Amino acid sequence: MEMSQSLHTFAADPLQSTMAGGTAATILCCICATPIAPNPSNTCPSCLASQSDVTRGISTEAQLHQCRGCSRWHQDAGKWIGCELESRELMALCLTNVSGLKKRKGEGDRVRLVDAAWVWTEPHSMRLKIRLTIQREVLTGTILQQSFIVEFVVRNQQCVECQAAFRTGSWKSLVQVRQRVNHKRTFLYLEQLILKHGAHRGCLSIETFKDGMDFYFPDRGKAGRFISFLEDVVPMKVKASKKLIGTDDKSNVSNYKYTNLVEIAGVCKDDLLFLPKKLARSIGNINRLVLVKNISNVINVIDPITGQTGIIESDAYWRDPFRPVITAARTRLTRYVVLGKDAVFLERNHSKKAVGRKQRSKLATITAARESDLGMNDSQIEDRSHLGYLLKSGDVCLGYDMRDCQLVDDEAEDLRTAGRMPDIVVVRKLYGGVAAGEADAARKRMFKLQKLDIKKGEENEKKGKKARKDVEMERADEEDFMQELEADKEMRTRVNVFKSEVVAATNTTEDNDGDAEEGEDEDDQKISLDELLDNLVLDAKPDEDDEMVAAEESAIPGMMLVREGERAARDNIRYIGRDEALNVQARDTAVVSSEWGKEFES
Amino acid sequence: MATRVAFENTGEIGVFAALTNGYCLTGINRSENFYSVFEAELSAHIPVIHATVAGCRFVGRTTVGNRRGLLVPNTTTDQELAHLRNSLPDSVVVQRVEERLSALGNIVCCNDHVALVHPDIDRETEDVISDVLGVEVFRQIVGGQALVGSYCKFSNQGGMVHPRTTVEDIEELSSLLQVPLVAGTVNRGSDVLGGGLIVNDWASFVGLDTTSTEISVIENIFRLSGAGGGSGGQLGAQGQQSNIVTNMRSSLIDQLS
Repeated sequence: MEMSQSLHTFAADPLQSTMAGGTAATILCCICATPIAPNPSNTCPSCLASQSDVTRGISTEAQLHQCRGCSRWHQDAGKWIGCELESRELMALCLTNVSGLKKRKGEGDRVRLVDAAWVWTEPHSMRLKIRLTIQREVLTGTILQQSFIVEFVVRNQQCVECQAAFRTGSWKSLVQVRQRVNHKRTFLYLEQLILKHGAHRGCLSIETFKDGMDFYFPDRGKAGRFISFLEDVVPMKVKASKKLIGTDDKSNVSNYKYTNLVEIAGVCKDDLLFLPKKLARSIGNINRLVLVKNISNVINVIDPITGQTGIIESDAYWRDPFRPVITAARTRLTRYVVLGKDAVFLERNHSKKAVGRKQRSKLATITAARESDLGMNDSQIEDRSHLGYLLKSGDVCLGYDMRDCQLVDDEAEDLRTAGRMPDIVVVRKLYGGVAAGEADAARKRMFKLQKLDIKKGEENEKKGKKARKDVEMERADEEDFMQELEADKEMRTRVNVFKSEVVAATNTTEDNDGDAEEGEDEDDQKISLDELLDNLVLDAKPDEDDEMVAAEESAIPGMMLVREGERAARDNIRYIGRDEALNVQARDTAVVSSEWGKEFES
Repeated sequence: MATRVAFENTGEIGVFAALTNGYCLTGINRSENFYSVFEAELSAHIPVIHATVAGCRFVGRTTVGNRRGLLVPNTTTDQELAHLRNSLPDSVVVQRVEERLSALGNIVCCNDHVALVHPDIDRETEDVISDVLGVEVFRQIVGGQALVGSYCKFSNQGGMVHPRTTVEDIEELSSLLQVPLVAGTVNRGSDVLGGGLIVNDWASFVGLDTTSTEISVIENIFRLSGAGGGSGGQLGAQGQQSNIVTNMRSSLIDQLS
């Protein structure tokens, strides 16, 4: 046995060097004759790597598209997503853009991604680099692992939304909302409704015109949604039309632009109506002279003398449209000072069974005098009002003076001259500074409203005197609208009303005042602090702020909010920093991996 | 000298041919290329015979033999057996073996003195092997593989074993077989040595994929380089050496047994 041992050593001498100590024998790599430990392919890693490229079919360069306007990244099929640099989401986006990583149908050898790391790039180089580590089975049982760098070129491409913002005529569908009246209050109200419901989402731009607004939409669906929103909030009718832009006969495709003309009923809150006889009969035989209480998708009217209410449906209105006899323009409204009031007890209809609940009448007989008459003469008016319950002596209210006005409707005018109409129709009570006649009442108002970003239509771009007059008119309309809101609790519930700076400044005193008054006169329409929304930094100058921030960032690039690699660390992604990145090779040599690594999920 | 051969398109030539010091069997191919390679190398010294076993051409895996005899599985037809007996020299005993594991080439690996066999073969088969082939039989596994015929190959000069065989195992086998052994590969890293390599004391054939590194390992361990046509040709230094080893071995074996 001893002999045979020596024989073996002697005989195997030339190859003895290939045998290493330990249990595993060393064999020669079948290609380069390097002594290696046996592996499934019996080839040394460098030969394996040189023979079979693990990264074969995987692109090391790719493009990403970013919108310069909104910094979002193009995902696919026109979808844009916003994601931070170094973030997990951006990595996912990058990985989907590396072709060859995904297993394709019918392709046997699949690549397994085991790691992905961010590599530092110069911030202004418009490059993103990631270092991927992949595994691939090159021969049965032999898994090669290799790291390499994929470079992404960031290209600028405007996203659809930004394109739309920079280009006119990108709209597909236009909704023209019109109301043929000479004030803007309906649209001011509509603006608030739109803001509250977010109905303007998807809208490319909004323009305002003399008697209405235009809403531009990128497609028909969004316009349709907007119209159905309008249907719910105002009495209106739609007329749709389309214009052929181009057509492709071969594929039977046509390109249209759609225009929807939405006409809002020409009746506004606080307008005085003289209803057609037939209509008045059909809504509960109401008195023909009614006041518009509010406008929703129907017209709510109230008889100021009896307090009877009625509803005019939208289609009933459009079947037989009528104009108000007096529109609630500020020229037609007169300020009155209440001198006294008497409660009115109505004759109840006793045939009704439900007598149990004692109906509190809101009516009262008001004794009032024109504010302008005070100190001039002693003329007083006494008449019933549906707002009687709100008023007390000393209050100021607005109303129509029916004694000296001209009604456009002949029938109504006859009635008026015959004295069969009330002398005064009280429209609304005035509150706060407005009632006192303070000049800065508007500024001292405790609430304020949001604004939509509305562009002026071309028609509105006038010059000189006319423009100034328009601006003045607009301010007056806004003020009227604010007063309306102030006097109507129900209307306020439908819009977002925010606290103004005035409240913040004089919080306590105002509050006490209000409480004291409220206890006194049970005024349920008065605006109270707790219905106002907080939060309210209305950014009056949004652009300026943005520019400031942008300027700060560009001025000091080193002073970024997030340090390099910090975001990656938060997302648990490895980050190869600036110094390290210098030493990273574009492609490492492959190494033989004994087993599959855990697949990298993004 | 190792010659690269391919059978049709495969490098697994050990499947289709069997080579001993006394004869060579080749499977029947559509063309004669495969046969003619062997004929060119060997016909001067030993008979090269076309053969089938049970109508199949993978004679390398179904038969096992050395210069004294040839074992064929029980599936061999009488006609085939008669053909083999007719073609082989009279000194070679051809014997059918009633063995459940009928791929004898996979379960037996032998030279003219010793044989390694699959641990599970019948007692009778073991007896037949030792009687017919005149060898000492060892039940062994090589590199964790029971199919010793597939995963190792040795001649009277040297041998090659599965690459995963441990150093200790190689030493043990080497002392068992009385030949130097090395772990190695054929056919560009394939560990199926019985498939890619056929060898006798003075000639060897390897699969077409075999690299020059592998060939040089094979030539070294089987003492083929410079030995030329072994049996009558001029002997080089190594040939001389191997001659001494061979002579010494027979005397040693005599001593030990």
